[in-house]
Amino acid sequence: MKLNNTQPLEYSTEQNKINIVGFWIFLGAEIMLFATLFTAYFVYENRTGTGPTGEEIFILGPILINTFLLLTSSFTIGLAIHAMRINRKKATLAFLGITLVLGAAFLGIEIYEFMTYYHEGATLQTSGFTSSLLLTLGTHGAHVTFGLFWGLAIIQQIIKRGITPQTANKTFIFSLYWHFLDVMWIFIYSFIYLKGMM
Amino acid sequence: MKELFPIKQINGFVFSLLLTVVALSVYFMDMSYEWGMTILLITAFVQAGVQFVIFMHAGETKDRDVIFSTLFYGVFLALAAVFGSLLTLVWDMM
Repeated sequence: MKLNNTQPLEYSTEQNKINIVGFWIFLGAEIMLFATLFTAYFVYENRTGTGPTGEEIFILGPILINTFLLLTSSFTIGLAIHAMRINRKKATLAFLGITLVLGAAFLGIEIYEFMTYYHEGATLQTSGFTSSLLLTLGTHGAHVTFGLFWGLAIIQQIIKRGITPQTANKTFIFSLYWHFLDVMWIFIYSFIYLKGMM
Repeated sequence: MKELFPIKQINGFVFSLLLTVVALSVYFMDMSYEWGMTILLITAFVQAGVQFVIFMHAGETKDRDVIFSTLFYGVFLALAAVFGSLLTLVWDMM
């Protein structure tokens, strides 16, 4: 295995570099996945039928808390990557742990929101608006849920094997995924919630 | 301890919080739909740029051309799908 020491550990082998580029291409496909969901949402946004409208069910408080939680978790995983690059194993683990706790809190609030929507009569079957809304939010939430398990596996590997070219590469790719979820949330925050309450 | 908090990341975080607050102005201030959407489009896309470049290090290796091509291609298709559908399914029905 040829090691290149001029670049951070996660890029140090040819395989590592290819893994990272490959993951970016996957993220490109993820942009398109969310684009189709947003398309459906924008088309059905005003087709509320007899069900509630966005203005009636969106509440600013939990949305702002969730935005803050996810933005902060995006910051802390950035710090985790920085700590990893200066070879600080404990700090890396601590920042990853904080990131996952923030992610879990985000998910808790989102599940609570879904229950509120359900009690207000906004279910998947209610109207074009509610089904495209819940599908878009649900897809994002499912990604966060998957990310929590992925993150736990990453933490376990760093504890077991330390910061090696392989674990550094995996951690970096996980950070790309996590930041991407934050970007998608910003679009949900802007073009679903704020636009709906404007 | 200090070396764990690089200034670039802290600036990125503060800037992204700031953009969130600016976006929030469409809720608290009384403005036209056009102005509101303009503000949201700008804050959301700048915010995405901050994440990609500062936090995801999109431009730091020589693979940057591949990475940015993929991103722009994805964004182009996203905009084509969203605005193409709005044009044919929503705006012409009004």
